[in-house]
Amino acid sequence: MRMTRAGTAARERLTAKRLAMMLAVLLLTVVVLLIVAITIGSESVKLATILKIMIAEISGRAADVTPEQRIIIAEIRLPRALMTTVVGAALAVAGAAFQALLKNPLAEPAILGVSSGAAIGAIAATIFAESLPVSRPIAAFIGAVVTVAFVYTMGQSRQGGSSERLVLAGVITNALLSSIVIFLVTTAAGARQRSVISWLIGDMSGETSLLPLVALFVLAGFAVIYIHARSLNLLMVGEPDALALGVEVKRVKLMVYIAASLITGAAVAVSGAIGFVGLIIPHAVRLVGGSDNRLVVPASALAGSAFLLLADTIARTVIAPRELHIGVITALVGAPVFIYLLRRTS
Amino acid sequence: MIRGYSYPSLTPGPRPPIMLEVSDIRFSYAGPVLRGLTLAVRDGELLALLGPNGAGKSTLVKLIVGILRPASGKLLLDGRDLQAMSRREAARLIGYVAQESVVMFPLTAMEYVLQGRFAQGRLIGFESDEDLREARRVMELTETTDFAGRLVQELSGGERQRVMLARALVARPRLLVLDEPVANLDIAHQVKTLELVKRLIDDGELSAIVVTHELNLAAEFATSVLLMRAGEITAHGSPREVMTESHLREVFNAPLAVDANPASGAPRITIVKRDA
Repeated sequence: MRMTRAGTAARERLTAKRLAMMLAVLLLTVVVLLIVAITIGSESVKLATILKIMIAEISGRAADVTPEQRIIIAEIRLPRALMTTVVGAALAVAGAAFQALLKNPLAEPAILGVSSGAAIGAIAATIFAESLPVSRPIAAFIGAVVTVAFVYTMGQSRQGGSSERLVLAGVITNALLSSIVIFLVTTAAGARQRSVISWLIGDMSGETSLLPLVALFVLAGFAVIYIHARSLNLLMVGEPDALALGVEVKRVKLMVYIAASLITGAAVAVSGAIGFVGLIIPHAVRLVGGSDNRLVVPASALAGSAFLLLADTIARTVIAPRELHIGVITALVGAPVFIYLLRRTS
Repeated sequence: MIRGYSYPSLTPGPRPPIMLEVSDIRFSYAGPVLRGLTLAVRDGELLALLGPNGAGKSTLVKLIVGILRPASGKLLLDGRDLQAMSRREAARLIGYVAQESVVMFPLTAMEYVLQGRFAQGRLIGFESDEDLREARRVMELTETTDFAGRLVQELSGGERQRVMLARALVARPRLLVLDEPVANLDIAHQVKTLELVKRLIDDGELSAIVVTHELNLAAEFATSVLLMRAGEITAHGSPREVMTESHLREVFNAPLAVDANPASGAPRITIVKRDA
């Protein structure tokens, strides 16, 4: 049975009104989860106190809170929650973009091995330019670009690409690149700032000093992908169709492919290869709102933020005082979705 | 119903101007090799492209549409060089229905048809009222209005093919290129589809190139026929000139008999069993 959606007759196409409504609901969800993420933790801090600290931080005046409370909120939880918001948006948008580009709902940065490629770039940057953290997202971007090109080429056969072949190419590439990650982190002294597991499964407990740069990369990549949303709608149906209908296929593919790699690199450089966000989020968005990328791209960004904020809150609290890697949560949710999608697309 | 169609070879008077000119097109990458094909399509023409599998019919139409680029040769539409145009410009002039198109994502029939307006509209933003009017018009024409809100994946093969035709028509193209448009259709919809194409042509809206294996349908509806084998044109002319027993037997390597359809006078092709 193919996918059915309740009330399809009422929904013929995406309208500006429906887009605005869905984005508003998602934005509200993100804000709520952001507050939840900041509030919940080993040290419970009241919402009123959090507000005081926020106002104090913005206005630059002192608030009547304890220094511990200020540090927990302003220097630990808030930056981490904001970083999680950015990374969640990044991974989901990258997933949506790769899916449209490769005409494959199973494409996703981690499954394609692109995240591992980005991780290798970031690790290499920590080895060779440890004093220059800015080089990490850039090197991760290069790692992502090279990996996409490699996986895409391997996924093509003489008859063109198939879903299964591409996923298989991704799995093998991922296995190879993961070994290289393990090798580098174990052998190179400069790469031991993060554990192997953190790189391969992903976690949000890393340092947050790169937040402005990562946010800038993600925003730029998002903008490029979003302005090509209509072209992606056509590419998603097939390259011959897109060419015949007026899309400059080569240019659009190159731009979106670079943008998606940039976003993936930025996210992986600070959080490792968190899997499945790019798979389940665009899928869920399409299920609810249809496949129009004018909706899928921005809605995936917001839904990805919300999902990762929730996952990180769970990861921080479920076995407190210890912390779970966030990738464990996303994989527990994402792997069953992947299996379902694989069965449906075959 | 079919009676009354006039064929150019029977109509005296000046011939309409050439709208598509393909000259000395060469192509040799993937698939059959095309060695210098030359042909012309006139205003108001319905050209049927016939030939066995692998003859290069699909390759030829992909070259015309611009999905493939020829190694050498010229393609002119209304005297303008197609290869020098941007994809958007070319898309406004040529409507194309591919042999098969697998949609991997949930997309409604309306969304699918509106894709055909891409080259008309803005690159960013939403479809205009005119886009929607045009979409409703062609969905009416192709009898697909009833499932505008259904997912393309869920449609039957025939329904999907009509939605694909609607998408090709929604931009009001000068030239309609159809690659096996009736392959999944029952006989009633085969006739309906070609009647629709014929009507649009007679309204002066467009000319059409149709790749098909339905020889009898081509004989009834086409104003001219191009016979291809192994990347070469073996015959080009009116259905009566081209669809002769010797031509068809030779090109298809099949035991066919040709006589005249008593209703229309057009060639009628029948299969003769080898042991008969």
